[in-house]
Amino acid sequence: MMAPFFKYDLFGDEFSLIVAVLIGFAFGFFLERAGFGSARKLTAQFYLTDLAVFKVMFTAIVTAMLGAFYLSWMGFLDLSLVYLSTTYLAPQLLGGVLLGFGFVVGGYCPGTSVVGMATGRVDALVYGAGLIAGIFAFGEAYPYMEGFVYSTDMGAITLPQLFGVPYGLVMLVIVLIALLGFWAAPSIERYFGNRLTEEV
Amino acid sequence: MSQSRPPSKWNWILAAVALVLAAVSVGGDPYRGHVVTLNTKELGMIVDAEVDHVTAEELADRLIQGQTAQRILDLREPIAYAEYHIPTAENVVLGDLVDYPLYRNEQIVLYSGGGIHSAQAWFLLRAQGFQGVYMLLGGLDAWKDEVLFPSLPTEAGPEEIAEFERLVQVSQFFGGSPRHGSGEEFVATPMQMPTVEPASQVPVAKKKKKRKEGC
Repeated sequence: MMAPFFKYDLFGDEFSLIVAVLIGFAFGFFLERAGFGSARKLTAQFYLTDLAVFKVMFTAIVTAMLGAFYLSWMGFLDLSLVYLSTTYLAPQLLGGVLLGFGFVVGGYCPGTSVVGMATGRVDALVYGAGLIAGIFAFGEAYPYMEGFVYSTDMGAITLPQLFGVPYGLVMLVIVLIALLGFWAAPSIERYFGNRLTEEV
Repeated sequence: MSQSRPPSKWNWILAAVALVLAAVSVGGDPYRGHVVTLNTKELGMIVDAEVDHVTAEELADRLIQGQTAQRILDLREPIAYAEYHIPTAENVVLGDLVDYPLYRNEQIVLYSGGGIHSAQAWFLLRAQGFQGVYMLLGGLDAWKDEVLFPSLPTEAGPEEIAEFERLVQVSQFFGGSPRHGSGEEFVATPMQMPTVEPASQVPVAKKKKKRKEGC
């Protein structure tokens, strides 16, 4: 049996929706368990007083990356069938800055705001309202910026292709970055945590 | 508000596992290479069911209707391609085909001069896991006979004449010229191939935006 199951027609559209819902619940559950339903925990990442976001995200990245690599190496997964979204460099850079800005101000990113809402947090509810308002604003303004949204099209490019280095080497570098981050996290948290309490 | 506790034994073990797995894979490439496994039974059934090809007329109809969703690949030599090719066709020689940028959810129509190269290409692409691959039945020869230069048999019934009227329009759309009368006339007036891209009303297909996936 080969993955991706949907692309190999092992199940159809209806079943894939059920799978999506289950994965969505699992995603939300683990975000909540990691403490990401709390805006305090999330914004602490930006002040470097709590690197939980970094640690959780990089754990997920490293696990998924190594998993996908070895599964396809062993022939259980056809990675060329896995969808890669297109890179539009300039609009995505600007979008990333905007999202980061909204993250610090609002205390959530879109996914975690839903987790916050599910646990009954009022600030997450307000964030959700802003999210929907933002979607409408973007939709209305879309005709004026369509050209920009699709500019600097680099195609569905991956880091190994971009830098022209072996896939495995990129993986090793990312694992090293993650492990270095995990190792340094306690000291970073202590340093910035103390600085913040001194100021207060 | 320091949250981190000192790393436990398990943290070290998991970190070591990640590091070892990453180190072992250096230089590796997870994308499937040129070695594939084939389901010969399935391929045989597809060929048997005759769902592996389109006829020249079907392809002409699609192009006239402005259907640009399919990719048409011309497998002949670049020189032959430069002289004439079916509108919107892209030139790929067989050796480059396996690395040619194609999406697996695309409809791909293959043609060559006769049909041998397109049959070989069909096999290669099916082997690579492409599902929507079709050969142009009879290749460019059939395209010439049926679409560009259709001929009316000397003793044609009214139905055949009515059908021929339609073919004349199709032929003219692609810049061809229909032939009347007997076989001798064919020789007398050699077929003039239309210039490249005769059907200017068919815009060269820009790749359509793919269905959005992901978040």
